[in-house]
Amino acid sequence: MPAATNRQLAVRLAVGRALGRTRDLDDIYSAALDTLAECLEVSRASVLLFDPDGVMRFRAWRGLSSEYRAAVQGHSPWTPDSVDAVPLLVSDVTREPSLEEYQPVFAREGIAALGFIPLVSLGRVIGKFMLYYATPHAFDDEEVKLAEVIASAVAFAVERGRAHEMPRRSDSPQGYEPNASVIGPWEWEVPSDAPAAHPDGLPSGRLRQVRQCDIETDRDCLKILGLDGRLLYVNPAGVAQLGVEDSSTLVGRRWIDFWEEKDREVVEEAMARARAGTIGRFQRPTRTFAGTMKWWDVAVMPIVDAGGVVVQFKAVSRDVSAQWRTEVFQAGQHQVLEMIATGAPLAQVLTLLAHVIEDQYEGLRCQALLLDADGTHVRLGAAPSLPEEFSTLFDGQPVGPRVGSCGTVMQTARSVIVTEIRTDPQWDVLRDAAARNGLRSCWSAPILSSQKMVLGSFAMFCDTARGPCHEELRLLETAADLAGAAIDHHRSQEALRQSEERNRAILRAVPDLMFVFSDDGVYLDFHAKDPKELLVPPEAFLGKRMRDIMPPPLADSFSQAFERALATNEPERLEYSLDLSHEQRFFEACIVRCDSDKLLSIVRDITDRKRAELDAAAQRQELAHLNRVLILAEQSGALAHELSQPLAAILANAQAARHLLDRTPLDLDELRETLDDVIKSDKRAGTVIHRLRELLKKSNAVLQPLDLNEVTREVLDLTHSDLLLRRVPITTALSPGIPPVLGDRVQLQQVILNLVINACDAMSTVDPAERALKLTTVADDECVQIAISDRGVGIPDGALDSVFDPFVTHRADGLGLGLAISRSIVVAHHGRIQAENNADRGATFRCFLPLAGGTADVSRDSVVAMMSPG
Amino acid sequence: MTDAYPLSLAIVDDDEAVRTALRRLLRAMGHEVRVFASAEEYEAQAADADCLILDLRLPGLNGFELRERLRLRGSPTPIVFITGDGGPSPSDATAHAGTPTVAKPFSDGDLIAAIARAVSAGANVR
Repeated sequence: MPAATNRQLAVRLAVGRALGRTRDLDDIYSAALDTLAECLEVSRASVLLFDPDGVMRFRAWRGLSSEYRAAVQGHSPWTPDSVDAVPLLVSDVTREPSLEEYQPVFAREGIAALGFIPLVSLGRVIGKFMLYYATPHAFDDEEVKLAEVIASAVAFAVERGRAHEMPRRSDSPQGYEPNASVIGPWEWEVPSDAPAAHPDGLPSGRLRQVRQCDIETDRDCLKILGLDGRLLYVNPAGVAQLGVEDSSTLVGRRWIDFWEEKDREVVEEAMARARAGTIGRFQRPTRTFAGTMKWWDVAVMPIVDAGGVVVQFKAVSRDVSAQWRTEVFQAGQHQVLEMIATGAPLAQVLTLLAHVIEDQYEGLRCQALLLDADGTHVRLGAAPSLPEEFSTLFDGQPVGPRVGSCGTVMQTARSVIVTEIRTDPQWDVLRDAAARNGLRSCWSAPILSSQKMVLGSFAMFCDTARGPCHEELRLLETAADLAGAAIDHHRSQEALRQSEERNRAILRAVPDLMFVFSDDGVYLDFHAKDPKELLVPPEAFLGKRMRDIMPPPLADSFSQAFERALATNEPERLEYSLDLSHEQRFFEACIVRCDSDKLLSIVRDITDRKRAELDAAAQRQELAHLNRVLILAEQSGALAHELSQPLAAILANAQAARHLLDRTPLDLDELRETLDDVIKSDKRAGTVIHRLRELLKKSNAVLQPLDLNEVTREVLDLTHSDLLLRRVPITTALSPGIPPVLGDRVQLQQVILNLVINACDAMSTVDPAERALKLTTVADDECVQIAISDRGVGIPDGALDSVFDPFVTHRADGLGLGLAISRSIVVAHHGRIQAENNADRGATFRCFLPLAGGTADVSRDSVVAMMSPG
Repeated sequence: MTDAYPLSLAIVDDDEAVRTALRRLLRAMGHEVRVFASAEEYEAQAADADCLILDLRLPGLNGFELRERLRLRGSPTPIVFITGDGGPSPSDATAHAGTPTVAKPFSDGDLIAAIARAVSAGANVR
């Protein structure tokens, strides 16, 4: 769920930013409520905290009346001792029995649903925030998770703010509240003969005033310095914080020596300001004499005598280690989150995380281990401060004792604290290695994904044998949390990257143009493997409507295809051609809906394929024509004979008329009849010539509904005399009233002609008395059948299918193309042709042609495409 | 042969237009004409003719076959072949020998001349 992880990350960043800006509690509450409003879209919310007396009180609220607050004050599902508190969600307050007594209050306030989100610090509830809804609200998991993220950050910030809030300093040194109402430089009277030592160790005189304040501020380290910068006095708190037994080791030493070399300039400057009569301040770390690094917030003030001359300095140092640690940690955390969000490599993120944790406490070294995808082996994620020879021992190991207590952590998904590696059985295998590297204890927490799956472990190794303090434990939990976010994010990004890589690979492999259109035909985007394939530059079409770019008929076709694609969600294919500068190119577009309102069009240049198709069609056309020419050449004798009949009749009639004209009286009726016969015969001759011309033409297919009986008769007319010559008697059984088929007259004539000639050829060696040719037509629901049956030599067994193959001939002469061409014509008409041997003798050829307007409709495109070159 | 002698002519041709036209023509020239659509039809009738005008391409028995049958029967009727194929090709020369042939379309003069030749030859035998 990359989207959810990203959202959580975004919320954490937002929360971190909002809360990190301030240490002031009121600002923190306000920022918390802002974040709730922004991230959870809850405008009415409140922040409540436990008082020191254990009562939950409102600290900040939005959209609540004072009556409401008064009415519910103190109600809380948790006590300060509550552990493992989880959010309580009330979708409908009217259905929650435990809230019954508050129903009227809710009703008056217009509250119908509630969310109780605990604020938890170190496992204990310190307060809650409340979400209020005006209508019943179904809480979903993501919402709750985000609320918990915000709550965790708010709890942290509140704790920090509270620590900060402890006696506030104004413009006097931080944390220092002088008892006196006088704030500022102290008056100090130094008698010239005052003894250096004093029972309290304090210079005498009006220091007593200062001394009272010391008591009040004994939490801070208070020092009195001479003008030479040497320590004259350190208060008890300071002695303790500086890590010495008593002040004797400190008095007389130069204060500036307590600070690191690099910081001494700042210290000097502060003293200079004090010398000048104002307050010098700085914050710097330095080691105590016990060796502990601490952060100090220091104010150096002048101590003046009665004459206003600065005679001594007072340096008040507050140990702000905790705050400093926290701020540094916040900053570090923030940096880690930003690295995650900006997609830095996982190893870098984990290394930074380790450093951020290690910076908090001395003596800690961190190690992040990652669980392999197979769930059984471990890889080193980061261990920047551990010796390589130790951390590499973990890499590639199976989960288990070979990775110490971290193995247990990953197996059980629970934190494990090992205070003494030397004796803990989980560290049997790695004990020696740990000892070699000075590692005495290991505190390890599981790294979990947002789905609570184990991703690895985060461990803190300590060089002393102890358990973690509260802050350290919290640190560990936070580290594991952040590591989880980092790994989750990394994995989802990786999956996304791989998916995108796959898509890119597909795109690279597909040598096509792709266009993305809006559903109203505007070009939105494109992909072109070869930019030259774009006929116009992108700026010329992107953002424009397809109608404005394509020629209108093409735009119409595309529009229709778009509509169908949007409606059916199935791919639509469209073939089209464009006339380019010097040639016509053919394209095929496959159009499919994508997203809910866009269309994807994948365009392929099919010019080569189309040209090949057209060439093939042209070749077929040539062959068909050749076939017709050859037939006619064969038939020429028959045709001449056919023509001679009407011509003979015309001549005889004309001459008869001449004779009749010489008679008296003129027989006008006879003459009229004669002329009528002349006209009839002439027309007959004309028809033969016409048929001849048709067959000789190399014309494109013309589709029309045809009566197959009529076509058959036309063929018989043409072949009549040839059949006589060949002594082939014909019988016909043409079913009357057969429905029409859709086809080209000339081409269907050609088929029947081929079959008739073929039948005659088959009978050429048969005794004339045995010869017979029968043509039959019959129709059913789907098609019309014409059968040509002969009593010839028949088809050899096994050749019943191959007889239609080109160049297969059983005649001594002939090309063997007639049947092949016949089949291609029949197939182009969406029909079929078959041959069978008759039971007694000879063969029958059957053609099945679909009815015009029937279910197996012959499409113009297929016949035209197949039989003509476009 | 002139129109002065009305002849009794028989025409065998399977084409109806040709039959009608030829009958009209020969009648207009003063002759008697009977027409038949096939060789079988001619054989089925008893009467003889002064001359038989015979198409070569017929359903059933063709012109040559009818001529042969008549000769075998000893029929004296002179025969004229009419044909849509043009004149006899060299390979057909033997088959046509002895019988005048006119190719369609033929003029009345050519037909009459052929009839005269056949009649004056006296017989249909080579």
